[in-house]
Parts: sequence; structure tokens; C-alpha cells
Amino acid sequence: MIKIKKSEFNKFIENLQKNYSVFAPVTDGKATAFKKIKSSDDINNKVLNTKRSPKEIFFPQSEVLFQYTEKGMEVPKREEKPFAIWGMRNCDTKSLLLLDKVFGEAHQMPKKDMYKDPYWKEKYDNCLVFNLACNEPLSTCFCNWFDGGPFDKTGSDIFVVETDDSFIFEAVSDKGKKFLTDCKTTENESDKEIKKIEKLKETAESFLAEKEDISSLFSKTKEIWDEPIWDEIAAKCVNCGACTFVCPTCHCFDVSDEGKGNKGKRIRLWDSCMFAIFTKEASGHNPRSQSTQRVRQRVMHKYNYFMDNYDEHLCTGCGRCVVVCPTNLDIREVIKKILNYKNEE
Amino acid sequence: MIQNLRTEVKKLLKDKKVDIVLGWEKGSLPLSSSPLFIHKEEDVDRLIFDETCRNNLTTYLTKDKRKLGKTYDKIGIVVKGCDARSIVLYVVEQQIKRENVIIIGVPCNGVLEKKKILQKTENKEILESKIDGNNIHLKGRDFDLKFPLKDVLCDSCLTCRYPDAPVHNIFIGKPRKEVDIKDEFKNVIDFEKKSSEERWEYTKDEYARCIRCYACRNVCPACYCNECFVDQNDPQWIGKTPEVTDSIIFHLIRNLHVAGRCVDCGACVSACPVDLDLRIMNKKVEKEVKERFDYTAGLDIDEKPAMVSYCENEKQDFIMG
Repeated sequence: MIKIKKSEFNKFIENLQKNYSVFAPVTDGKATAFKKIKSSDDINNKVLNTKRSPKEIFFPQSEVLFQYTEKGMEVPKREEKPFAIWGMRNCDTKSLLLLDKVFGEAHQMPKKDMYKDPYWKEKYDNCLVFNLACNEPLSTCFCNWFDGGPFDKTGSDIFVVETDDSFIFEAVSDKGKKFLTDCKTTENESDKEIKKIEKLKETAESFLAEKEDISSLFSKTKEIWDEPIWDEIAAKCVNCGACTFVCPTCHCFDVSDEGKGNKGKRIRLWDSCMFAIFTKEASGHNPRSQSTQRVRQRVMHKYNYFMDNYDEHLCTGCGRCVVVCPTNLDIREVIKKILNYKNEE
Repeated sequence: MIQNLRTEVKKLLKDKKVDIVLGWEKGSLPLSSSPLFIHKEEDVDRLIFDETCRNNLTTYLTKDKRKLGKTYDKIGIVVKGCDARSIVLYVVEQQIKRENVIIIGVPCNGVLEKKKILQKTENKEILESKIDGNNIHLKGRDFDLKFPLKDVLCDSCLTCRYPDAPVHNIFIGKPRKEVDIKDEFKNVIDFEKKSSEERWEYTKDEYARCIRCYACRNVCPACYCNECFVDQNDPQWIGKTPEVTDSIIFHLIRNLHVAGRCVDCGACVSACPVDLDLRIMNKKVEKEVKERFDYTAGLDIDEKPAMVSYCENEKQDFIMG
């Protein structure tokens, strides 16, 4: 465990920037997002859930895969320094593990080592993730439903707790251990600090709403696929893509070519299962032409299909979609409705 | 008021005058409401109407995906002034038949803008809230604020001239009548005074934040095209990335598509997850239509909309230069 006084925070970030491209929560005009910072002054440690999720650091909304001319193609040059992400919350660090199952770990069905996404891996594999504990979770947070928590460390390299006057660092992964060992700061494992952290953790957890038992969610979603409950759930959805775009785990994408004259580029960009065009086929047929089908797809992907493939729910309970939905279609209520649904037959 | 509304809605359902009623219920977040689709009398007690009822529910009548307006013979819908004007738009544009909707007007004092509230609380979370007459009281973990309600009403409501449904079958409560608003286009006039560089900088910075989720389009009652131009890919009209020039094209074309049709309900502004200033351009277009054709959308079922009628003496300088 290492302690850094808040007065030394600027210096710490400066040092970090020597070897890393540092990303952190930044308030830019009206929106908060994870952005590459110039100096520690840019960092907003107060914001709990950034409006845009940090998935965009590794999986940007639009990413040039390659550029081409008549002479050939080239892949754009990447950053030389590895990434360090300061101030991620547990729901977001966990979401990186989920996305890594899709893009990085490559144990997709049906067989292992099918495909590893070089664009993702290049950024994610060498990055250093600082998970900042949530001292004051929001009322929209439901990470505890998915076995996360304001002081959970899953998915991070270094776990950080902000106390009244300092940041206390704890190594979680080997990468994190190495980083902290290399930091020439004195170890500090006083009982006083440990007690302080325990107290903060207790307070933070008391802010969270009661945990919902979702152990039957997977089996339940399987049972109800064809039931009319989906009409009820989807009725008020207007099929915008706000939930999917702010979601830290939604990862569907489209590929688009933008060219002019003898040059162009191929771009990968976020897509959304909420859009009618998402499944529209070249023939004009659309297997998910109805809103209900699209809402069901999103819910099923999160709580059933992903579980089927990777043994985890594709949701970490960050609550961003709850906040942005223009019609207050609250995913927590959707889950509860599914869990409480009784088949009439 | 709310009891009268519920009684009236129950009666409509009981007498089978409507198959479904669209209204609002209490939302899951502080100061929020959520659309409510009432099929059965027992659900009527969930119906509310207050300053949190910001959704323009008429959007559900036309959207291709739902076709509520075509699925049901008779639809009851609770409306504020702006919402009722959207229905007028649908009738004028022959999207729904007037006799298929029972319009239930409610007196609107303006609805809350979540983004303004968060500015007041400096983005801190609201845990308790109370609306007390013309004041609003908010409490969070480390704040306790009380201020006038009008500070946090939608911009559209602050310049709204038609708070009561101009067309309705039933009106619950006391109408507010037409309100005398003199500076309806103040934001546009102020913006017009800026240099073109300043206007460009502002517009560019705003639209650079757009994430192209199309929430603005999907909640908009005037945006009911079966296939939006941004979704067409053969040919593809604009780039699909959130590159600022493409985002600007999307928003400007949407502005022009709703010219003489936008009722300034503010649904797009409220829906935007990244808080874009979507109103200024819509209001600019509304002002142009008003000045050139003396037309205000959504007021009269028998009046031809500005974009489909023609007068010999109307101003044509925008064509002739």
C-alpha cells in the first residue's frame, strides 16, 4: 500500500505521463468523458460516472482501420506510449474485462483462438488501469446486483482510495505491483489508513440501494423469449441509440468506407441494435423490424446470450442508460419485471 | 385536477370510447416521469400530471415502428399545449384522422429541464425534491436548495405562447389562455447579432459533441419518416461517424425538414444525452417561417401548412437572391 498526499497528486500525474499517455475523467464544456489529459489540472476526480463511458479509449466511436490509395493500404500509426487510465470506477474496469472477452481473449465460440482484434489488443494489453473507489455511489448505481461494488477491485491494476488528504494505492495485478514497486515512494501500511478505508467502504456501501437477486435472470430470460411481456417492456422505447452509446459494455459496430477520388479509408464505428437499419438486409427484409424485437435483443444480449457464451452478464450496473434514457425506460425495472414474470400457462 | 383527469380517463375506458390512453406516470428518478400506456381502468391510478411530464407523447402515434395511430381505432391522449399542436400537425399532414384521437388537454405551467436542475446542483445528485407552488426545493447529500421554479423550466416553456391545447375534446382544470410573450425569439435575435465566425465557432463546438444516437430525431413528433435520410445507404447521403461536419449536416437537414412543422415542444433538447443546444436552429427556422409566411405550426386544423401552400405575393428573396 502506498500513500500519496493530495498536494503531491500533480507530481504523481506528471511522472506517470513520462511513460504513459494518461487518460482521466475530464469535464469538457457540458459533458464529462475520459480523455487524454495535458496536465493533472484537467482531471475531475469528483465525477462518479462520466457521461460517456471509457470504452471509447480502447474502442473509439469511430476508428480508422486502414487508409488506401491506388498504390496500396496502410494502417494508421498508433500511439507509442502505453495507456494509463486514471479514475476508472469498478463498473467500468469490469466492463473492460467483458469487452476483452470479445475483442482480446479470443475464446469466442465455437473454438478458441479464432480471432484477436489487433486494434483493441494494442491499446488494452499494455494499459495500466487505476480503479478509483466510489466514496459516494449514485442512486442509479446497481453494481452490487452484478457482484461489483464501490470498493471492488476486479478489472484493475491498481486500486485507489481517496481519503480526506491523500490517495492510497494498492496493487491488484502483477502489472500494478511492478508499477508500485518502481514508484520510489515509501510503503505505508498503517492501521490508521486501513481503518479509514474500511470506514469509507462501509459508508459507500450504505448508499447503494438493496441488491436484487439476479441468479435466475439467465434461465428466466430463456423462458420468456416468446412471451408478450416484451411488448410491455418495449412500449415506451423510442429506439434511439443513447443507451447503447453510453453503455460501457455495448460493443456492436458497423464498418463503413469513406472515399473520395483515388483515396479513402475504412472505418469501424459504433452501431446500435436499437436502430432499425442495424439488421436491415440488402434485400430490404428486416428480421428485427419491430421496436419490441430490438429491445428484446438488447436485453437478451446482456442477460442471456453473453452469459451463454462467456458465463457473465454483459452489464456491470453502472446506471448510465438509466440516466440518459429519454423515456425513463429503466433497465433495473426491466430486470425486475423479467424476474417477477409468471408464465400464465 | 389529477382526480378529475383520472375520473375522465376511467370514464373514457369504461364507455369504450377509447382503446388506449397515453399519459404519464411517476418515473424512477427524482423529478422524472415516464410514458404510461393505459389499457385497463385499474391502471388509471398511476396517471399523473405535473411539471415532470416533459415527454411529448404524440411521438408514439406516428412512428413507423409502432403505428399506434393505425393500430387502434380510438386513442385517448393527455396533452400539454405543445403536444396538442403536434397532433394538429399530424392531422394537417394526414398522418392520423382527427376523429381517431380523443385529445385530453391539461393546464400546463411549464415542465422541468433536467439539465438546468443539474446546473443548479452543480451536477450533484438530487435525493429529495419537492415542488411547492412557484418554488422548488432540492436536497442532496451536501446541499439544500430552494429557488423559483421558473429557473429550471425548459427554455421552450419560458417562451411558450400556447400552454393550453389549441384543439381538444376534453379540457381538465382551468386553461391558462394565450400568454403574452414578447421576446419569443430573443435567443435567435441575440445569436443573429454575432459575427459569422462566432456563430460558426459556437455551432461547430456544439455539434462536435454529438454522438449521433438520434435521440433528438426519435423523440421528435415531426420526425416520422419511415426511413430517415441518415439511415439510407443506397445512396448514402452522409458519413456515419460523429465527425463534426457530418453531424452538422444531420442537424441542419433535420432543422430544414421540420421547418414550419416544429412546435418547439423541447423534446429533442430534453432527450439529448450530451446536452447539445438543439433549440437555437429550430427556433431560427421557426422565426423565418413566421416572418415569411406568417405561419405558426400546430394551431389550426384547417390551415394549410406553410410548406405546402403557395401565395403569389409571398416573399421569395431566399430563392431569387
